[in-house]
Amino acid sequence: MKKIYLTVVGFSMLCRISTHAQTRRDTISTKPLNSSTQSSKQDSTQYNPRKLKLDEVNFVTSYYSQTGNHSAVTGGIGTESVTDIANGLDLNFVWTNNHQNKNTLAVGLGFDYHTAASQAYVSKTGASSPTGTRLYPSLDWTVENAKSGNTFGIGTYYSTEYNYNSLGADLHFSVKTDHKNGEFSAKLQGYFDNVTLIYPSEFVPASTTVVNNGRNGDGGHRDNFGTSPRKTYSAAFGYSQIINSRLQVAVLADVVGQNGFLSLPFHRVYFSNGKDTIERLPSSRFKLPVGFRANYFVGDNIIIRSYYRYYADNWGIRANTANLEVAYKVSPFFSISPFYRYYQQSAARFFAPYEGNSPTQTFFTSNYEYAKFTSQFFGVGFRVAPPTGVFGWQGLHELEIRYGHYSQNTDLVSNVISLNLGFK
Amino acid sequence: MTANQVFKKDCKLMGNRFELSVVATDEKRANETIEAGIDEIKRIEKLLTTFSDDSETNRVNSNAGIQPVIVSRETFELIKRSVSISKLTQGAFDITYGSIDKSLWNFDQDMKSLPDAGTAKKMVRLINYRNIILNEENCTVFLRERGMRIGFGGIGKGYAAERAKLIMKEQGAVSGVVNASGDLTAWGLQPNGEKWTIGIVNPDASGQVFSYLAISDLAVATSGNYEKYIVIDGKKYSHTINPRTGLPVTGIKSVTIITTNAEIADAMATPVTIMGVHAGLDLVNQMKNIEAIIITDDDQLYTSKNINLRDA
Repeated sequence: MKKIYLTVVGFSMLCRISTHAQTRRDTISTKPLNSSTQSSKQDSTQYNPRKLKLDEVNFVTSYYSQTGNHSAVTGGIGTESVTDIANGLDLNFVWTNNHQNKNTLAVGLGFDYHTAASQAYVSKTGASSPTGTRLYPSLDWTVENAKSGNTFGIGTYYSTEYNYNSLGADLHFSVKTDHKNGEFSAKLQGYFDNVTLIYPSEFVPASTTVVNNGRNGDGGHRDNFGTSPRKTYSAAFGYSQIINSRLQVAVLADVVGQNGFLSLPFHRVYFSNGKDTIERLPSSRFKLPVGFRANYFVGDNIIIRSYYRYYADNWGIRANTANLEVAYKVSPFFSISPFYRYYQQSAARFFAPYEGNSPTQTFFTSNYEYAKFTSQFFGVGFRVAPPTGVFGWQGLHELEIRYGHYSQNTDLVSNVISLNLGFK
Repeated sequence: MTANQVFKKDCKLMGNRFELSVVATDEKRANETIEAGIDEIKRIEKLLTTFSDDSETNRVNSNAGIQPVIVSRETFELIKRSVSISKLTQGAFDITYGSIDKSLWNFDQDMKSLPDAGTAKKMVRLINYRNIILNEENCTVFLRERGMRIGFGGIGKGYAAERAKLIMKEQGAVSGVVNASGDLTAWGLQPNGEKWTIGIVNPDASGQVFSYLAISDLAVATSGNYEKYIVIDGKKYSHTINPRTGLPVTGIKSVTIITTNAEIADAMATPVTIMGVHAGLDLVNQMKNIEAIIITDDDQLYTSKNINLRDA
């Protein structure tokens, strides 16, 4: 089979706007004395630290006795015992208002550009466009209770590309355990998608005229017949726990249900008897992924992130994913993260390769997304977050560029470059 | 036996609102004690004031560069202690601060720009505690240069509070507070048996307390730019002048000093502000029995090392 090259260039921007509503504590953040930001300020006062002599160290206790005269007139308090504050004073922070919340509004914009040679063959003559672009803006509003650390939020997401658009909404919340070491989170999402029914050119139903009531197809291929809906509902649950200052773990489980038009109308299937048709898949699907994550801090500069996930769905696919990433902090503002991911899945019940499906099957597909395969994805990411902003621009506080190479044992190879920008 | 209660009275003295409180069972006794404290503050006000022509301070100032002036032992000792604080703070605290040459630049609300470095330094050329010549035997004070002036604005309030406390204790008050608009000293316990506490206000919000501190048998003084400041080119400048540069202090929103006596607390608040977070906390950290809390203009909180931050 010909090698298929898929190149994806992704670009996403995430802008977080945080507002602090009456957060007394948050507006005053504590910093240890040795903080590096001080050194630039000390020069301007023209007073420098100096080592005190012993009598200066004891200045307070010996204040009045310096004058050698303890009479009232000299202001002396005589030999009265003085409170000793060497044991420390407690500065107790209070919450004057129970409604102290931190509101964060995250605005994201993603852009993908992909090329896939096979896409050109949606039209039998290869006249379809081999490239596609996807635009996906998102909005998320989360409220965090500054005292308990619990959050609640809603989000919305929209994605559009030539044959598919998706509108999503989600509700998410998280609850922290008493000492804030553990956190339980839940996210309920719904996606309401529309698949543009772009049929391969030879399967356009003959009796109908071309009706452009849905999204227009890509360049040159005008065989579209409106859209068909697809709904996805998912509930994602997670529990994360800080074991100690170096180790954090998390357990994740999702429940996903889909219904609607779950296949793609331009995927062809060739039966064992040589007859060809379009793939047909059930109109409902149920998925259950379960995962485990562990992040370990080695020394001061290295974080090891590991992830394992088991996936099962009711189409017969069973899959395992193992991912390992090592983030190395070269400096407080620059880090390098090489990563590796191994993935293996079994075939769906109704998958068979070219001329492998029997015409008597109810459901059939030759889409290799549902085949048995293993894949590897590895690459490296670079992240910069200088204090003066990226390229000196304070509004752009971080930039990450990731390159990855993906290969499947079914001869699919792809390269992904993605750029992440974080704005304040 | 009637329960312990807090009795208080306030008065305007030394340009500040003083509030004296005592814990007592008997109202009459309490008021007598408070009156004794108020009388003491009045006495000190009279001693240190610059408002009456024949006050000691005025006589010393009008003889600057001319001749030594005999002062009372009390004033002499206060000046001596002030000089010791000047030495400790590398001159950031200086009772000759009043020698600033206002004809060159005056801090006023409509200021649009700072004086240049040369003018600024000229402005403060007479501020120099080393030019206070004290004669122990004759009990005289001589200001060496013409134009020099001394003033007790930076230490007088604390001295008076400490003296009032002493008098009230001598009168039998086992628990009370002397509060001079935020510079205060407290002793004993509240009627409910707990220590006296103060709330530290977030200088940003309108009087919202963000933390509290137990201060029985301690004294606290705060200095801040949140009341008197000017803004030039978007930067806040306090009305306090740095005696080394002649320029107004910037970057610090408030400094709170906690120590065992109000005179030192009062005197140390301004120099720690002038020295800045680094040199100021370095000084406080080396000294025993004195702690500091600093909030900077960008809302960073710094504390000296014996202060423990706790979530209530």
